[in-house]
Amino acid sequence: MKRKVMINLIGILLAFILGAVVMLIQRKDPLLAYASLFEYSLGKKFVYTLNKSVPLVLTGLSATVAFASGPVNLGQPGQLLIGALFATIGGLYLKLPAVLMIPVLLLLAMIGGALWSGIAALCKHFFRMSEFITTLMLNMIADFFTLWAISYPLFEKDANHPQTPPISPTGWMPEWGNLSSSVLVMVLVFAIIGWVMNRTTAGYEWRISGQNSLFSRLGGVNVNKNYLVVMLLTGALAGLAGGLVLMAGPHRFIKDMGANYAWDGVMIAMVANSGVFLTLIFGLFFAVLQTGATGMQLTALVPRELIQVLQAVIVLIVVAGRGYFETLFARLEARRKMKGLAK
Amino acid sequence: MKIIIGLINGMLTSATPILLAALGGSVTYYAGIFNIAMEGMMLSGAFFAALGSYYYHSWVVGIFFAILGALAMALIFILFAVVLKMDEFITGIGLNLLSLGLTTYLVRQIDIPVTGIVPIPRIHFPGLEQVPVLGEILSGHNLVVYLTLFAVISIHYLVFKTRYGLRLRASGYNRTCLDTSGVSANRIRISSLLLCGILCGLAGAFLSLGVVEGFTQGMSAGKGWISLAAVILVSGSPVGIALISLIFGFTDGLGLFLQQDLPPQFTAMVPYIATLVALFVYSMRMKKKLIA
Repeated sequence: MKRKVMINLIGILLAFILGAVVMLIQRKDPLLAYASLFEYSLGKKFVYTLNKSVPLVLTGLSATVAFASGPVNLGQPGQLLIGALFATIGGLYLKLPAVLMIPVLLLLAMIGGALWSGIAALCKHFFRMSEFITTLMLNMIADFFTLWAISYPLFEKDANHPQTPPISPTGWMPEWGNLSSSVLVMVLVFAIIGWVMNRTTAGYEWRISGQNSLFSRLGGVNVNKNYLVVMLLTGALAGLAGGLVLMAGPHRFIKDMGANYAWDGVMIAMVANSGVFLTLIFGLFFAVLQTGATGMQLTALVPRELIQVLQAVIVLIVVAGRGYFETLFARLEARRKMKGLAK
Repeated sequence: MKIIIGLINGMLTSATPILLAALGGSVTYYAGIFNIAMEGMMLSGAFFAALGSYYYHSWVVGIFFAILGALAMALIFILFAVVLKMDEFITGIGLNLLSLGLTTYLVRQIDIPVTGIVPIPRIHFPGLEQVPVLGEILSGHNLVVYLTLFAVISIHYLVFKTRYGLRLRASGYNRTCLDTSGVSANRIRISSLLLCGILCGLAGAFLSLGVVEGFTQGMSAGKGWISLAAVILVSGSPVGIALISLIFGFTDGLGLFLQQDLPPQFTAMVPYIATLVALFVYSMRMKKKLIA
């Protein structure tokens, strides 16, 4: 356990050093940049970090559950957009009190996301089309479809950019101070997913199917049914992320709303090695980076886009380091034991 | 008649970047690498092409820079997937995101005015141009379009007619066998990735110095993924890739043509839907094969 934490930390440290080198080349002060990054995101803007982590953790959980169970669902960006679109439509046309409105909109968002991943799941189920490419193509299609929806049928009159009118205020996520209640939803979903994956028969079956599909089929697991369930569930998670982004943030569907979270979920799942708890940790960590990016830009004049590079480098180094250091540690241990035997 | 000529020319223009990247993917496919990094290599190539062309006022330097930029991505892929033996899929995704982040970061840092960019020239064949219909179709394309035709033939020759090609395919079929016969499979894999980098760089240069002038954030827009689908659909065959890329290119051109009747967002979806349809046809064919 300790070793695993070490490996992750070494990888992150290496990525930060690489980032520092880039800053030095551009004649910026890396220490000041990193200090302001963490000061901003963990200090005065900590609440925003928590709010920001909601879509990251949820799309991360979506990818994590998918990868751990086998299906290569790379469609989180598209599912997020369709989920947000469904919530928008509900928010524009339904008139309900907040107690009912919020659950209904969240449910709609989940249905939207599940519908979009369901298309890919059915393509695989009936036609054996690999979900890996279909979800990617559906991402692009969702991108253009939502852009059309907010440019024509749902377009707000006299707006300069493609966007919808604001949804009914009863559908806005309540806030305490600046902390959005969407964080509460995230914690709840995390607890449920953690429980399902680690404490139920279904979760066990999914994980075993992910590790060895043939073995689980021989053991009597209905692999096809599980595939469909996992695809729908992961789509619903990404859709929920989209609904929460909309209801906690701009309260209307604006152009490029999901672009920032597009691939982060997949990255978080990869760097978390498809573990539910690590997904939460890395989701929060990425939120710290992304929120802190603004502070870094303000104080150290390092452009915030550097964080995007840093995230990708962290993923590459941590995942590669995991394999590399594990063999290294194993070799060192073997050598130590050899010495013990020689004595 | 004009419409048909326009459609064919649009088809060639849209097919070119997909085809070039897919040829790169084909080489790594034969080498037995699950390479999904074409998108990232292409994007990096597109940025550096614009950069080189702007700073040195020359499209030759632009192409050179594009190839270097894509090769840098290929080298990172080699470092992680071949040297450190990391999962190829994760490496590919990480690399694509790195390329997206890096080019976005750089394009906000370095201002590249469109007016200063020297595009890759179009080639006109004086004699051919006089022929009524044929001249309009065959002449006057971007230099890269003709290079692509050449690339299809040479990659086909390289893979199937040379000793290197034999080793390349052997690396994909059975690595251990190749290793035991005294040829390093890793060396073959590395060289195939470098070749893929060069081809993707050229594809990127065509995007930012051919189709349009200038680099925009994320301008590869899934073309690398479509090229991956093309590679999978025809199991790597260069000639098959050329045909399927032309089909994808045709649907893209068709999308532009349909813009009179449909909103632009729908016509922009056409290539991605075409990819799904192609996958569907492919899986139907495989199903029939399984039954027969």
